[in-house]
Amino acid sequence: MTVPFLCALTVLLTGPRLRTRHSGMLAVGGALVSCLAAWLALTQIAASGAVELLHLGGWETGLAIRLRLTPLSALLVLFTAVMHVLIGLYAAFSRQGAARDFWPLSCFLHGSLVALWLSADLFNLYITLELLGLTAVAMVALSGPSAYKPAANYLILSLTASLFYLMGVALLYGHYGALDVIVLAPLTVDDTLTRLALLLMTAGLMLKAALWPLHLWLPAAHASAPTAVSALLSGLVVKGPLFILWLLWSEVAPPALGQEVGPLLAIAGVLALLAGGWAALRTPLIKALVAYSTVAQLGYALMALGLLLTWQLPQMHIALWLFVIAHGLAKASLFLAAGEMQHTLGTRRVVSLRGATQTVPVAMFAFAVAGGSLIGLPPSGGFLAKWVLLEPLLSQPQNWPWAIGVLLGTVVAAAYVFRVVVLSFDRATITPPDTRPDRLGHWLALLPALMVWGMTLVGEQLIRLLAGGSI
Amino acid sequence: MFGNFLVWTSLLPVLMILSSLIPGLLIFATPEAASARRTFLNLLGVTTKLGLVVLMLIGVANGLEFRFVLPFLPGAPLVLQGDALSLQFVSLSSVLWMATTIYAIGYLQGSALRSRFFGYFSLCVSATVGLALAGNLVTFLLFYELLTLATFPLVVHRGNPESLRAGRSYLTYTLSGGSLLLMGTALLHSLTSTPDFEPGGYLMAFSGDHGFALQVAFVLMIAGVGVKAALIPLHRWLPRAMVAPAPVSALLHAVAVVKAGAFGIIRIVYDVYGINLSTELGLTLPLMWLAAATIIYGSLVALRQNDIKRRLAYSTVSQVSYIALGVAIAGPLAATGAIVHLVHQGVMKITLFFCAGSFTETVGIHKVQQMDGLGKRMPWTMAAFTIAALGMIGVPPIAGFISKWYLGLGALQQGYPEILAVLVLSSLLNAGYFLPMIYRGWFGPPPSVGWPSESFLQHRFETHWMLLFPALFTAALSILFGLFSGSVYSPLGWSEFIVSQEFEP
Repeated sequence: MTVPFLCALTVLLTGPRLRTRHSGMLAVGGALVSCLAAWLALTQIAASGAVELLHLGGWETGLAIRLRLTPLSALLVLFTAVMHVLIGLYAAFSRQGAARDFWPLSCFLHGSLVALWLSADLFNLYITLELLGLTAVAMVALSGPSAYKPAANYLILSLTASLFYLMGVALLYGHYGALDVIVLAPLTVDDTLTRLALLLMTAGLMLKAALWPLHLWLPAAHASAPTAVSALLSGLVVKGPLFILWLLWSEVAPPALGQEVGPLLAIAGVLALLAGGWAALRTPLIKALVAYSTVAQLGYALMALGLLLTWQLPQMHIALWLFVIAHGLAKASLFLAAGEMQHTLGTRRVVSLRGATQTVPVAMFAFAVAGGSLIGLPPSGGFLAKWVLLEPLLSQPQNWPWAIGVLLGTVVAAAYVFRVVVLSFDRATITPPDTRPDRLGHWLALLPALMVWGMTLVGEQLIRLLAGGSI
Repeated sequence: MFGNFLVWTSLLPVLMILSSLIPGLLIFATPEAASARRTFLNLLGVTTKLGLVVLMLIGVANGLEFRFVLPFLPGAPLVLQGDALSLQFVSLSSVLWMATTIYAIGYLQGSALRSRFFGYFSLCVSATVGLALAGNLVTFLLFYELLTLATFPLVVHRGNPESLRAGRSYLTYTLSGGSLLLMGTALLHSLTSTPDFEPGGYLMAFSGDHGFALQVAFVLMIAGVGVKAALIPLHRWLPRAMVAPAPVSALLHAVAVVKAGAFGIIRIVYDVYGINLSTELGLTLPLMWLAAATIIYGSLVALRQNDIKRRLAYSTVSQVSYIALGVAIAGPLAATGAIVHLVHQGVMKITLFFCAGSFTETVGIHKVQQMDGLGKRMPWTMAAFTIAALGMIGVPPIAGFISKWYLGLGALQQGYPEILAVLVLSSLLNAGYFLPMIYRGWFGPPPSVGWPSESFLQHRFETHWMLLFPALFTAALSILFGLFSGSVYSPLGWSEFIVSQEFEP
């Protein structure tokens, strides 16, 4: 965890003196080291199967800042580091690249995410959440004055959401006198105050994670950010609040309450799939299409979470995190490819992608491959997640309506991905490129998409790991 | 020694897929102008694959087992294996792929984006071979979807508004079908996990408790593969996809896509459910009538088509359903007819498409009325067309007769005389739309104003040899398959072998 923060500090201090390219190298190097550390932690925890607790400052339980390493959090730390390496490589080596201020911010983002995955204390989580939100806002603003308005909106919403969350935390602390998840878990009972606190926290988190119906800020913010930032935001940042939401409901909240709320969340998930997909189908802008598809895809995660709470099935837990990882990788590729195509063709409109298979073949291929994972075509990571989600849904005839929801989501996703792909095969009216395509950038955009299709090679290990980590 | 041997037999199925996949990927990287290198890669892939197929045929005939397993999903590994049925399909598609590749090289000479075309062309065949070798439902599903993706760029290859429309329609149908197949597969997986395909099916033990779920899964999966097999009402993408270049039509109709659908029906009914369970659950009868309706409907619509390729497309809708029909009649003789028709329809239909493409390329005609006097300008191509068309009608000794004979006998054996009536009616309709074409070609007066646009005049043959020879080759095959159907090594002999496994008690 400390590696990215150290990196951020170094980059920040040395920043003015170094060229952008060098701070980029440093940041990518930091992410690589963090990758390695995460891998070590993961293998260790997978081998021992235990949960490791680290007390910072040597205080007793309840007072100390306590970090918790579970197989899930180790996996998420690794995922975050890999994403930073991939996107960092792109930002450092593509022509479109990134501004100098990108690097310290991305390192901060990395650090706060890692802290978030490792925290098991509602107040710590608040701090990481706040850090995450502020960094993300700053990153959106990187793309210049045109992004100030969406960034400001994002800031206001993010702060409001944090406030909601903080109020919930305060209520819980006042009620139970504890904030550590492990301490709190056996204490909670189903009463009005707890309900109110959970409601406040859930609303705040859903707003931050852009979960339907609180998603309206996301497309503007993600579509106006610089390309590499959009990829980080959509691929990683929205997953942070989702993690807290999961932690809150699956560990802190009394299970009976979870069972009540679960179906509501799952229905919101299905609606997100349809509404987000529909919006992606209608929007005229490339990046907005990709951003709306995030709203839709988060619907799968929300659905898995809701059904996890309702039925307490371990498969749902696995499906949830597989979706998170598969979506992160695929979305990184989609945003990078979309950004590259926009840049090369000099326009932001979907219709301008006519003939893209000839003008920007590699970027278009990346878009299609990553899109295939969003649809859930085998053997991509998206397919793996969907398969795990479908299995318990289909085994009982009374659960089949949910499966129909998944089916509809698949069809809509196929529609908005292939809306773009079909255009790109047009040979009659080709949009001429503005600039020479940046080949390296396009290939770097393809990299995450290939990784998400490669996920199935380790699919069984992933499933086993997540199953071992299920609570 | 033994260990080596084991490795060899398990690697062979993978090599068969790679033998077209690797050349395909290399072709993508080939510059547009390097047509010699591209041709070399194409032919290298073709010959390697054929060699491997022969190797596997010999191996299976000698009792070897070819099986490759890779962990994929929990309870559903990726299994590739060569059993008798998969070999039938693999041999068919490899041989026809060879003919189509040569044809396509000739057909596309001088046009743009050939590297992209042949790249996807090879991927498409890799997916087909994977699908044929798939050892369980999940593997089948995987290659089924990959086949959709690999074919799509070929369908929209021309890139004009019309082909984009066709491409959208193709994707809408096939991806929806794919999702249904996914649902059905996942449903079965949740009941029984996914074991290997097994002659006689593996679901018998579950029929008591989960009868309804099994019925739902069957409907979902047959609808899923029925899209590619062009069962009504899921057939509409097929005639629309006719805007693609002729080699692609050949690929869609004879080598890969439609065949994949029909093959899927055979697999699901025989090797997943088993014929007994399918009948017991009351699933075969609706399928039989749906297939019969498709046969009649396809022929009726074909009769009304003026465009040669569209007429052929509707004829495919009708002919492929013979396979579904034979499967659904649920008797050994009909099953033999169905499985052998998979091959027979392939060689005959591909001949027809080769010829139709040659007509268009050589003398520039598209319509049935323009075929007058074609036999004088292009006698060899017209002869190949005639053989295949007569075979489609069911004239002995051409291959089509054999399949219809077995289907008819099978229908009587199981006590469905009305199906025999369907077959007779369909043959009459086939004659109704093929005979005028043949008549015009041989006995019509050549156009007084000359052909719309003539090419290849300076060639030694009536057209480019790469357009002519593949058609002659497949036409010869359709006669040989008919003449030597009594041999054990003919498609018929092999089909009887497959069926004997399924219907053994």
